Amino acid sequence: MPEIRVTPLVGAGQDVGRSCILVSIAGKNVMLDCGMHMGFNDDRRFPDFSYITQNGRLTDFLDCVIISHFHLDHCGALPYFSEMVGYDGPIYMTHPTQAICPILLEDYRKIAVDKKGEANFFTSQMIKDCMKKVVAVHLHQTVQVDDELEIKAYYAGHVLGAAMFQIKVGSESVVYTGDYNMTPDRHLGAAWIDKCRPNLLITESTYATTIRDSKRCRERDFLKKVHETVERGGKVLIPVFALGRAQELCILLETFWERMNLKVPIYFSTGLTEKANHYYKLFITWTNQKIRKTFVQRNMFEFKHIKAFDRAFADNPGPMVVFATPGMLHAGQSLQIFRKWAGNEKNMVIMPGYCVQGTVGHKILSGQRKLEMEGRQVLEVKMQVEYMSFSAHADAKGIMQLVGQAEPENVLLVHGEAKKMEFLKQKIEQEFRVSCYMPANGETVTLPTSPSIPVGISLGLLKREMAQGLLPEAKKPRLLHGTLIMKDSNFRLVSSEQALKELGLAEHQLRFTCRVHLHDTRKEQETATRIYSHLKSILKDHCVQHLPDGSVTVESILVQAAAHSEDPGTKVLLVSWTYQDEELGSYLTSLLKKGLPQAPS
Amino acid sequence: MDGTRTGEAGTSSLIMDPECSRLLPDLCAVLADPRQLVADDTCLEKLLDWFKTVTEAESSLLLLQENPCLVELLAQVLKLQDVSSRVLSFVLRLAGLFAAQEHCFQYLQQGELLLGLFGEAGPFGQAAWTVPTVRSGWIQGLHSLTQHPSALDFLEDCGAIDRVFSLQGDSSLFVASAASQLLVHILALSMRGGAEGYPRHQNGDWPLCAQKIINHVEESLCSLATSQVTQALNVLTTTFGRCHSSWTDALWVRLHPLVARLLEREPIPAAHSLVDLLLSVARSPVVCSEEGSLWETAARTLNRLSQPQAGPLILGLLKLQQCPQALRTRAFGLLLQPLACVLNATTQAPGLPGLLDGPVGGDSAAVDTFLSSKAACVGLLCQTLAHLEELQPLPQRLSPWPQAPLLGAVVTVLQLCNGSAAPASSVAGRLCGTLAGCVRVQRVALDFLGTLSEGSSPPELVAQVFAVLLEYLESPDSSPMVLRKAFQTTLRWLPSSPKTPGCSELRPHTLLFLRELFPVLQKRLCSPCWEVRDSTLEFLTQLIRHWGEQADFRHTLLDSEMPELAQQLLRDPESYVRASAVTAMGQLCSRGLHAIPTSPDNPEAQQGLLGEFLHILSTDSEGFPRRAVMQVFTEWLKDGLADVVFMATVLQVVSRDLDWEVRAQGLELALVFLTQMLGQPSLHCPYAVAPREAAPLSQLPKVLQTLSRVRLLDFAFRALFDCDRPVAQKSCDLLLFLRDKTAPYSCLQEAGDSPDLASVESVLRRWRVGEQGQPLEDLEPESVLAILRSMDLEDLQDTLAESSDHVEKSPQSLLQDMLATVSILENEADCY
Repeated sequence: MPEIRVTPLVGAGQDVGRSCILVSIAGKNVMLDCGMHMGFNDDRRFPDFSYITQNGRLTDFLDCVIISHFHLDHCGALPYFSEMVGYDGPIYMTHPTQAICPILLEDYRKIAVDKKGEANFFTSQMIKDCMKKVVAVHLHQTVQVDDELEIKAYYAGHVLGAAMFQIKVGSESVVYTGDYNMTPDRHLGAAWIDKCRPNLLITESTYATTIRDSKRCRERDFLKKVHETVERGGKVLIPVFALGRAQELCILLETFWERMNLKVPIYFSTGLTEKANHYYKLFITWTNQKIRKTFVQRNMFEFKHIKAFDRAFADNPGPMVVFATPGMLHAGQSLQIFRKWAGNEKNMVIMPGYCVQGTVGHKILSGQRKLEMEGRQVLEVKMQVEYMSFSAHADAKGIMQLVGQAEPENVLLVHGEAKKMEFLKQKIEQEFRVSCYMPANGETVTLPTSPSIPVGISLGLLKREMAQGLLPEAKKPRLLHGTLIMKDSNFRLVSSEQALKELGLAEHQLRFTCRVHLHDTRKEQETATRIYSHLKSILKDHCVQHLPDGSVTVESILVQAAAHSEDPGTKVLLVSWTYQDEELGSYLTSLLKKGLPQAPS
Repeated sequence: MDGTRTGEAGTSSLIMDPECSRLLPDLCAVLADPRQLVADDTCLEKLLDWFKTVTEAESSLLLLQENPCLVELLAQVLKLQDVSSRVLSFVLRLAGLFAAQEHCFQYLQQGELLLGLFGEAGPFGQAAWTVPTVRSGWIQGLHSLTQHPSALDFLEDCGAIDRVFSLQGDSSLFVASAASQLLVHILALSMRGGAEGYPRHQNGDWPLCAQKIINHVEESLCSLATSQVTQALNVLTTTFGRCHSSWTDALWVRLHPLVARLLEREPIPAAHSLVDLLLSVARSPVVCSEEGSLWETAARTLNRLSQPQAGPLILGLLKLQQCPQALRTRAFGLLLQPLACVLNATTQAPGLPGLLDGPVGGDSAAVDTFLSSKAACVGLLCQTLAHLEELQPLPQRLSPWPQAPLLGAVVTVLQLCNGSAAPASSVAGRLCGTLAGCVRVQRVALDFLGTLSEGSSPPELVAQVFAVLLEYLESPDSSPMVLRKAFQTTLRWLPSSPKTPGCSELRPHTLLFLRELFPVLQKRLCSPCWEVRDSTLEFLTQLIRHWGEQADFRHTLLDSEMPELAQQLLRDPESYVRASAVTAMGQLCSRGLHAIPTSPDNPEAQQGLLGEFLHILSTDSEGFPRRAVMQVFTEWLKDGLADVVFMATVLQVVSRDLDWEVRAQGLELALVFLTQMLGQPSLHCPYAVAPREAAPLSQLPKVLQTLSRVRLLDFAFRALFDCDRPVAQKSCDLLLFLRDKTAPYSCLQEAGDSPDLASVESVLRRWRVGEQGQPLEDLEPESVLAILRSMDLEDLQDTLAESSDHVEKSPQSLLQDMLATVSILENEADCY
């Protein structure tokens, strides 16, 4: 029985935190995303790849790996998987993802290996070697992974280069959304997919029960807070990771500064504005329409107000806004600036992203105000602390919208909490009348599929049908008789004569036979004549013939009368017919078994 | 002294300290309250990690007695009906950790807590049991507590083993796998307590627990359900893999007939698992393999399985030294079948001496299977080539190793893939159609070809290897990945090309190859694909490293446009390519294949390569090229290609770099400079350079003045307070080296005038608190020495040696964070 199998492989014993899904479709195995969990410092940060195949090489087992976007919870384990675990096959992602991935991976490598002194982590060279295995794809480009497996990327919004992927083998297909956003934001458009009617849609469900307030509201709130702080002479620190949200916030501030004609300096700590400029210019087609349109007059990513930061600036008097890495305030420049500014209640730190437990970012977000630093020093945090989520995931409404767009036969929810997913599952099942699954980590969902197998019909057969005056109707199924032959891995329906000819076979005829005992003392010839008359009177619509050799035929049915070897008063009727006349043959036999009408004396 | 300090720090994080004890009751209360939610799912994992270290370091019983809140937590969670699956799973695992110590187990048993958690009254009826995390927690808890005989009795009495049996078929593969592991663990523990040392076990000899498990395994092996057979085989595979006591031999004797009977079924159930088991038994040092039953079963399995299914068994057998020769030969023959098919199809002459003759090569059924579909053909060929690659370097590989036929076969495969093979038969034609352009086969074939460079091969075949490699390097159809493999394989073959001992010149055919290769490389350097440009530069760097001293190579290289093209790539739009171009150009200079850079003062140098490198160092927006420049500069300095002005310029640029790895490399460069000025560092210094004449003591003031002039000291002192720990660490090492080297001079100076240090110290104090704006004036040698003496660099080194997340990792921090984040959920959903 053909089937599609899906297994989320987040990591033994855990529920959320990273994406890695195994999909088997028509004998092809695909790994969707290869994320890491930043909350762990040991092997638990990576998915447990030993479960992919117990027996044999990973490269032989997996046909390809697909990465949906550059966030580390979707691609962070990739160099580990390809350079340390030993996967040597193709990896697919979009061009922007391929360009930006190494920057984020490099950022994390530096934190893990050099700052925390962790062993067993990938090196810079490994990141590069991994990226060289990537086959970059364009949107809506059908990419043949091999003769049977093809993939196609669709725009997902969320972050620059994020894509949803359709995976197709023959007539079976799966769509994986990765993270996506159904509403356009400041620099990206909304996710879109055509009515591809996949057998299965695997969708993220981060905000499964939420109808989120508009991102505009959050942006206004952010600008208001930054503005208020600098107005009263305070300094604003925004810890960020190298690329992604940082650029989004830069555009936001830049535009606001321009509009309000503000003079307060904005600094960016690690030359990232150039990087952002470079990538967004390179991938301008991935941004939203507004940015594309205005690009000719003014490049949105060339910031007039945002300048490179120098360490000495942190001591400058007066207000300023500083974007500094790393994003979780656990080390480096952002932490150094935080230490300097934490004691002043006029200042503010805005955390725009996730912070793992143990980091200063996590502590201040949970409301802790006295922090123990190295050497038992205690840092008192008087500055204001704000958390602002700008993450662009589809909310419940958006997820429903996408299901409506793609019209899948089944839906599978991942990347969310069980309770929230349950709510969405019911909603999807009610509204779209499709099955919805939400497998736990490590659980396999198996969907039986009925793949349609294309069959060609020979022209001869079609002509014969036409000759019978039966014109085909476009939307009406109809029965067509012929012989199904398989040649060169293709199925064709042809006439039996053509089949015989093509396959070089001789024709044989199959006849059914039956003996009927009839009590009749007359001679065989007379019995035959009586049978002929009897059948002729009953089977008026059929062609009944009495042949010179004494046998009687009705269509293809042949009746011969012979004397019984032991009982001269009994005649043995030998009835035979072809399979085409099976019904008539059976009827005729039952008729004869009842005996012949009494002959007129 | 250092060791003691580290030891103390290590211990203090292990044992339960008063602060943690104080925080625990609150945390337990939160965990036992279903209305409170613990936000971060990693916290409970980390908490368990910590409890594990605590229970390993001290008595669990004492821990529970001193912290009664822990037992209360277990008891309370037992009573809750709507407990969250996370907390329940945590509690099950925690209870298991505590109960691992027998006296603590007894203590918990008295309160019937263990029965409540793991026995019949356990959480099985609760809604939470449907969550795999809880089932997983239950198994892990049991796994932890099964460490002593009392635990075995407990498992027996409370019916846990039967439940573990059923969990082997769990819908979650993690739970199913954990259940399987637990059974092996119980079996091993049970046997450790019971029948150790028994030569043969009769039925009655097996301890109760073990008997139960073995009976279950036996039943499963006889089951008609493949899933149950798989479970039994997996338990046995793990058992023979992990347990190497004599009872495992008895176990095999007992179970072998049942295993062998699986081969009589059609189709063979759980073939992959069966292969794993046979190999696991074969690898066991205990199971007596001389009896022959194992090998006989293995041989039968080989006969029954299809080629792709048999692949892992073939490889496994060939890796085993004790495998009988006949079986090894048979396995090798099977392994080679696909290659035999390729060679038979493509060679005009019948029979291929040494490798593929005999019945195996010509087996028409095997050929049919091999060619049945493209997927089958590609899959099998990939498996064969990968297995051969794995076997080739092993000492236990089959002898004699058919190097030449294998080489011929792999070259043919590569030719079939790129369409250069002329099909000599209809089968070859089909192969051509199947393999043409197949990247999967190309990759693995090139890898194997690379491995074959280790053996010695006839010259005509070597010529064929180079020819096919050149075709791949030349072909516009080669994918970047295949091209990279072709480069790697070429590098492996180049050094092994035949050359006369003692002759430094290249053999004519290598030279010919290189002459043909360079135009190809030139084209590749201009590829629109960055991966190709980068791989070509990496290849070029390796070539120069390997052949750079040979005159013929040098002439050929200098005759080509390669150096110019590589230099142009210093301005490539892709940062990886710029970095590789920097490395390649650096290598060219080191080998004298490009104008040697002189001092930056020299106007020519300004416009030349040094100028370009300095430009990259000061302006490139990406870290990779800047880091590559620093590596090249360090190499140059080691080779004596740099001077004082060069140092001053580089250090000035690098000290401002935003990438801490570049700053750290700047310090490495500074250390090489120091070493050259002052002589080798004492012991275990990783920066070993060619020994040079160190400056005599009397020269020291001059040396120190130079260091001050190139602003090395300014850079090093500033870096000491760098916000990035690795930079500060490197700087600390450097200053310690300087202090040690100048110590004798300091002694001489002590009698003299004490320099005025106040202003310098004030600057350093400000740097320490992060105010780095103020510059350091030029330092007098005496001041340098005095500052070095006055600083407690060892103490600083110790502080820096602690990783930057040592605060993050502390248990107090964890407990505080967990308490603080209760019910704060919003940022969890966010992505990184």
